[in-house]
Amino acid sequence: MVFSSLTFLYIYLPIVMILYFISPMKIKNLIILVSGLFFYAWGEPVCVFIMLFSTAIDYTAGIVMNKYDDNQKIRTACLIVSVVMNIGLLAVFKYSDFIIATINSIPGVDITNPVLYLNRAINDVIDLNLNEKRVELPIGISFFTFQSMSYTIDLYRRNIKVQRNFFSFASYVSLFPQIVAGPIVRYEDVQKEIDDRKIEVGMVSDGISIFVKGLAKKVLLANNIGLIWTNIKAMDYSELSVATAWIGILAFTFQIYFDFSGYSDMAVGLGKMLGFNFPKNFDYPYMSRSISEFWRRWHITLGSWFKSYVYISLGGNRNGTAKTIRNLLIVWMLTGLWHGASWNFILWGLYFGILIIIERLGWGKVLERLPAPISVLYTFVLVVFGWVLFDTNTLTECFAYFGAMFGAGGIGIDATAKYILASNIPIFLICILASTNIVTTILGKIKNKYRYAVSCVAPAVQLVLMLMCTAYLVDATYNPFLYFRF
Amino acid sequence: MKKRKKLMHKLPQKINFLVFFGLLVFLPIATVVSPKLTFSETENRVLASMPKLTFDNVVERKYMNGVESYFADHFAGRDGWISAKTGMELALGKKESNGVYILDDMLIQKIEGYDPATPERSITAINNFAEDNPDIKTFVMIVPTSAEIYKEKLPENAPNVEQKETIEEFYSAMSGKITTLDAYSALNAEKDGYIYYRNDHHWTTAGAYCAYSATIKKMGHTAVPMSEFNIEHASSDFKGTLYSKAVYDGVDADVLDIYYCNSGNPVDSVTVQTGLSEDVYDDLYFRDYLEVKDKYSVFCGSNQPIVTIKTNNENSGKLLVIKDSYANCYVPFLAQHYSEITMLDMRYIDTKYENIVNIDEYDQALFLYNFATFIEDENIKKLDF
Repeated sequence: MVFSSLTFLYIYLPIVMILYFISPMKIKNLIILVSGLFFYAWGEPVCVFIMLFSTAIDYTAGIVMNKYDDNQKIRTACLIVSVVMNIGLLAVFKYSDFIIATINSIPGVDITNPVLYLNRAINDVIDLNLNEKRVELPIGISFFTFQSMSYTIDLYRRNIKVQRNFFSFASYVSLFPQIVAGPIVRYEDVQKEIDDRKIEVGMVSDGISIFVKGLAKKVLLANNIGLIWTNIKAMDYSELSVATAWIGILAFTFQIYFDFSGYSDMAVGLGKMLGFNFPKNFDYPYMSRSISEFWRRWHITLGSWFKSYVYISLGGNRNGTAKTIRNLLIVWMLTGLWHGASWNFILWGLYFGILIIIERLGWGKVLERLPAPISVLYTFVLVVFGWVLFDTNTLTECFAYFGAMFGAGGIGIDATAKYILASNIPIFLICILASTNIVTTILGKIKNKYRYAVSCVAPAVQLVLMLMCTAYLVDATYNPFLYFRF
Repeated sequence: MKKRKKLMHKLPQKINFLVFFGLLVFLPIATVVSPKLTFSETENRVLASMPKLTFDNVVERKYMNGVESYFADHFAGRDGWISAKTGMELALGKKESNGVYILDDMLIQKIEGYDPATPERSITAINNFAEDNPDIKTFVMIVPTSAEIYKEKLPENAPNVEQKETIEEFYSAMSGKITTLDAYSALNAEKDGYIYYRNDHHWTTAGAYCAYSATIKKMGHTAVPMSEFNIEHASSDFKGTLYSKAVYDGVDADVLDIYYCNSGNPVDSVTVQTGLSEDVYDDLYFRDYLEVKDKYSVFCGSNQPIVTIKTNNENSGKLLVIKDSYANCYVPFLAQHYSEITMLDMRYIDTKYENIVNIDEYDQALFLYNFATFIEDENIKKLDF
C-alpha cells in the first residue's frame, strides 16, 4: 500500500488510528505489528514472509549476543549471521539478476539465475505464481534490511540495549510509516519510544500537519511535474531541443525531491501520530552550497547509515589521504548501488564520490568563499547532471540525453518546449519556491508574531490541501511510486 | 485563569485533530452509504466491481488492486472531485486534460503524432480493394477533425498534426482507380457554422451535410438542397466523449439535430447484424439513445459490424460503405440516393469482406473515416485478409 492512495487515506488510516488511540498502551505495539504486516502484505502478499524471516533472525541474533555477553567469538558470529543474512537477502532479491546479467555479458557464458529455479520449484509445489523470468524486488527490502541490521550492529558495538520482547522488535521493523520508503529509522532512534511513549494531542496535531504537507508535496507537486518528465523521457532524444531536454530533467529534479521528501514527511508525520520521533530525512537539499553539503541534506538517514556502519568501519579519514579516498569511493559506490541494481546507479554514486573527494582536497574551501548564489547554482547543476545518470535506463540513453541537453539535436527551442513551458510555468514556480526555505522562514516569522491566529488558520489550510489531494487521487491517472528499485 | 490559558493553548491542536480525522472518517462513511452505480454516465464507462476474495487473487495482488479501483470508482462524490481536479489544472495554466484541449467555447480532441506505417498499410489495403474489384467505383473520404478546422483556436505552440496536408498526401498515394472526396474544403468554408460538436469528437449533422452537398456530385448524384430538410433539435443537452475525457463543465451542452426530408423518409428497413443477433428496424434513428449519455448513437444505433439499409428508391444502385462512426450521421443523406446501402465497420469484423457481402452486387464503395481514426486504425488492413 502507498500513503498517497485513497485506500490508505480513507480506509486503512482511520481504522488503524482509531483502534490505536482507543486501545490500552499494552496492546498498542501489537496493533503496530499487525497493521504493519497488513500494510506490507497488501503490496507484497508473498514477500511479507521474507521480512518476517529477517526480523526473526535479527531478533534471535540479538538475544544470543546478549546471553553470551562475555564470549566475543559468539557475539561476532551472531553479527556475521545477521549481516550475511540481510546482505544475502539483498543480493538474492535485488542484485542477483544484475550480477547474472553482468556475468553473462562475458562472451560464451549463459547461466540462469538460480533464484528462478527456486521460484519454479515453489510454483510446482504450491502455485504462488512467482515470476519465473526475472526476480521481483520486494518493496522496501532496501529499507527494512538496513533498519534491522542497524540493530545487530549497534548491539554488537554495545551502543544499545537488547530487545527481549519479540513483539516490540517486530513492531519496530514493521512500523508501517517507514516500512516501504524510509526514512531509515535506526533501532537506536526509537529504542526508548518502542517500549515507552506518550500519545498526546500536541504531538498528534504536529504529525497531522507534517503528514498533510508531505501528501501535498507528493500528490500536488511531484505527480504534476512528473508528468512532464514522463512525456519527455519517452521522446526520441536525438530530436529533442535543448530547451525541451532541460525542462525534462528539471521536471525530474523536482519530481524526485517532492516525491521522496513528501514520502519522508508523511512517514515522520504518521510516526508522530503514533508517538514516535523519526529522524529528519531532507533539509532543503537544493539550497546546498557544495555536493558534500547536498548529501548532508538529501536522504540524511541513508548518508548517516553508510557513515556509521561502512565509512567508519573502514577507518574513515583516520589513516591518511589515500585510505580516505579509497573509503569514500567504496562508500559512494555502495550508496549508488543501494539505489538500484544497474551500472547507471553505480556510476551515479561514484560521480558524487569523486565530486566529494575533489571538494575535500581543497575545492570545498573555494566554494565556501564564493557568493552563495554561485555555489548554490554550481551544486544544483551538478546534481541535475546526476539525475540524468540516475533516471535514464542505460548508459547509451544517458549519453544521448546529455547530448540533447548540449545541443546535439541542433535546435535551441522548439514549439514543444514553448508549449510545455507555457502550460507549466505556475507549477515550476511553485516547485522552485517550495524547494527553498523562503516560505517556511516567512511563515515562521508570522507564527512568532501571531502564534494563536496561525495555529487556528492551519487546520483550515490543511483541510483545503487534503481536499485538493483527494480530488487528484480520485482521478489518479498518474500516481507513480518511484522507490520500487530501492 | 491559568487552566483556561492551557485549555486555549490546546484548542487549535484539538481542532486540527478533529478536522483531520473528521474528514478521514466522514468520506469513507459517505462512500459506504452512497448508492452504488455500475456505470458512470459522466465518464461513459463501466465502473469497477468488488473483486472476489480468493487465495489466488490475494497472492497475485488482483484482490488488492481490485479493491483500490473499486474504492476509487465508487468514492463519494466522484464526479465532483474529478471536475474539481480539472478546474485546478486549468487554474495552474494547463490547457488540456486527458488528451483534450480545453478552449473557451469548445473541447477539441488532441491529435499528436502517429506511426506513418499504419495509414500506409490501410492505403495499400484500400488500393488492393479497388484493384480487385474493377467493376465497383471506389471513393474515399477522410474527414478532418475539429483540431484542423479550428487550429487557430488551439493554445499557442500546442502539438497538432497538419491534417489538410496529410490528407492530401494520403490521397496522392491512392490508386488511380479511386476517386477521393474533399471534405476539408467544404467544412473549412463553413467553419463559422455549427459543424462540430463542442463536447464530442464527431461532426454535427450540419457538418455531415456540408461534406455531402459538396461531394455527392462526384458519386453521380445531385444533392438534396438544405431547404428540402426539416430539422428537428432532438436533444439540447448532449455532452459527448470529449466531455467524458476532460470532465470540464465550462462548455455549453450540444444540440443534436436530425434532418428529415420533406419528401418523406426513403428508408424501408434497417438490418443490424451484431455478430450475435440480426435485428430489423424501420428507421436509421434509434431515438432511445436520446435518453442516455451517448446520444450520438441515435444515428444508426452506435457502431455495429454490419448494417444493411434498404430504401424505396428503385433501381438506384447498391453502395458499400466501409467506415467509422463519422459515417453514422452521414449515411442518412446517402440513403436518398441508393436502393441499398451496406455499412461495414472493420473494427468489429474478423473475416474476409467477401464472406460477409456478395461483392459483385455492389455498384459503388465508399471508405469514410475521420482523420483521427484513419491514422490509428489497424483494422482497415483486414480487407487484405
